[in-house]
Amino acid sequence: MTTLTDPASVAARHRAAVIIPALNESGAVTAVVQDIIDQTALPVWVIDDASTDDTAEKARQAGARVISLPERLGAWGATQTGLREAKRMKLDWVITMDADGQHTPADIHLLLEPIREGAADVVVGSCTERGSKLRHIAWAMMRLTSGLNCRDLTSGFRLLGHKAIDLLSGAQASHLEYQDVGVLLMLDGAQLRITEVPVTMPERQHGKSRIFSSWLAVAYYMSQTLVLGAFKRRPPKLVKRWR
Amino acid sequence: MITVITGFLGFITAGLLLYLVRKDHLHVAHGLGWTLAIFVSAMLGFAPGIFDTVAQTVGVAYAPVLGLSIAIAALLVKALLTDIEYTRLKVRQQRLIQKLSLLETELNELSGNPPLDD
Repeated sequence: MTTLTDPASVAARHRAAVIIPALNESGAVTAVVQDIIDQTALPVWVIDDASTDDTAEKARQAGARVISLPERLGAWGATQTGLREAKRMKLDWVITMDADGQHTPADIHLLLEPIREGAADVVVGSCTERGSKLRHIAWAMMRLTSGLNCRDLTSGFRLLGHKAIDLLSGAQASHLEYQDVGVLLMLDGAQLRITEVPVTMPERQHGKSRIFSSWLAVAYYMSQTLVLGAFKRRPPKLVKRWR
Repeated sequence: MITVITGFLGFITAGLLLYLVRKDHLHVAHGLGWTLAIFVSAMLGFAPGIFDTVAQTVGVAYAPVLGLSIAIAALLVKALLTDIEYTRLKVRQQRLIQKLSLLETELNELSGNPPLDD
């Protein structure tokens, strides 16, 4: 079992939490929550995005704190709910993860390293080996329009420091529909230091992608993301690769 | 004859607006704006010569084009303002939903009671 260095002292010393937005993930959420708690001793918050299955109950039984939304807001809306709570509780940092088992809790310590050394405000867990050729073409198009040179633009596995929490919990961030390019552009625009670290991302264990659920959904997502990137782009700035 | 028809249509539409406001399908503030627009349209329908004079003054050769252009521009502005207002309301709604869920969670944790039904 891989554990964080001093997991108990990390949780005690840093006011932190793991935020997991979840929509109908009853098949995977139990294992995901238990894995995080076993390996990191960090508090886990599952933001139930008005699921129609028993995701909330299973997450609660697994040991997570469950915040249930009465109306579906999407992955970013659910994540922002967790960030607003993190801001209210004055947490030092949060980790955002997916509920489908794609992100490995054992890699959380990799995201912590740049933060511990004071070298970043945001750390993106990057796995560019995943996904089809189409996904890589999409990433290239997003980089072209947005000016961001982050390798993994759509990774939901991120560590956000308190400056990022403050920024992303605000009303301006509520205008965003997705958690990738728009969020990164907002962080970049606020001059926050963004770093990428390589992590492993196994294939999705349960369910399927909501964004890529149909060609219409893909078309809507891509057109929105590309237009947003073009409208909000800034001069190119290097996203640091951590070692 | 055409002026009578257009004027009559204007009054019919104004009557429809009155009905919508009475039945609370349309907010009074929006009803006022639409009423004004329809009143102006109805009056111009009774006196189309006004457009000929104005068109001549601004240099538009074919007067009805001026009326159509103004109408299209007004509708575009209206549509844009509606989208801006919709955006503001959507963001406000989202943040209220988030706040509600956080308060409800805290309340349930403190009281031990189950959450309210929707």
